[in-house]
Amino acid sequence: MASRGVNKVILLGRLGADPDIRYLPNNGGKVVAIRLATSEVWKDQAKAKQEHTEWHRLVFFKKLADTAEQYLRKGSKIYVEGSLRTQQWDKNGEKRYRTEVVVRELQMLDRADENGAPRHSSQPSTPPTAANDAGLDEDFDDIPFF
Amino acid sequence: MLNKVTLIGNLGADPEVRYMPNGEAVASIRLATTMRWKDKQTGERKTSTEWHRVVFFRRLAEVAGEYLKKGSQVYVEGRLRTNKWQGQDGQDRYTTEIVAEEMHMLGSRSGGTANYSDNQPASSASRASGASSSEPPMQSAPPAYEDFDDDIPF
Repeated sequence: MASRGVNKVILLGRLGADPDIRYLPNNGGKVVAIRLATSEVWKDQAKAKQEHTEWHRLVFFKKLADTAEQYLRKGSKIYVEGSLRTQQWDKNGEKRYRTEVVVRELQMLDRADENGAPRHSSQPSTPPTAANDAGLDEDFDDIPFF
Repeated sequence: MLNKVTLIGNLGADPEVRYMPNGEAVASIRLATTMRWKDKQTGERKTSTEWHRVVFFRRLAEVAGEYLKKGSQVYVEGRLRTNKWQGQDGQDRYTTEIVAEEMHMLGSRSGGTANYSDNQPASSASRASGASSSEPPMQSAPPAYEDFDDDIPF
């Protein structure tokens, strides 16, 4: 018997945009999607600083969706744990795939301000620019959300 | 910043190994992770299988190519990477894969496990001879990535 598998993702990064909120048909509940940037910095052989930003699509359901909608904003720094899921759909007879992280645990890492409200994003914590990510959104808009 | 993936699953097909012009090996596998749970309302047992594309580079790729087989059970640790490419219609497409940084072979019939990391030279010691002893999660897995199958996202 094949043993139980493990499918776990841990990410720590910043939101590239405000959360995208949608509702599943037939009272299926709320789904919140975000784009998260994780950056890697290293020195190459010539000791020059190199940086690479990776973009991830994250989705939240149920209570986590409420929390994400309420507190997360562009620039928010978060820690998440979740699992990978790849969705498939047809577009003009061609199969398309999209891999996303279904979040199971969320930790917000921005300090709350004096009022106890979460700090709004557009402050020093600027996220990496989402330049090469624009295409992602366009493409994703074509597909049924779930 | 953190970008970390941990998977334990079974290979849906033998690894595919290629070599770069500089002689470095690149291996890719399709890995199935299966989740099992019991439906709270109906008590029904359910399973769901997720397929992942995992790539290995250099020494780790050589080890993967040599020792992993269809059905092998493996632990992989790595990071997510999304590649952008263009379809025949000129539109952008994206493929997400896991770049493996550490790999442990599980389910060896000899009872041992072989652990390899991309950061250190692998010992040639324990051989994963038990590949055939673990069941592949899907019998109908295609032999190569190029043979896109209905159920498999790679």
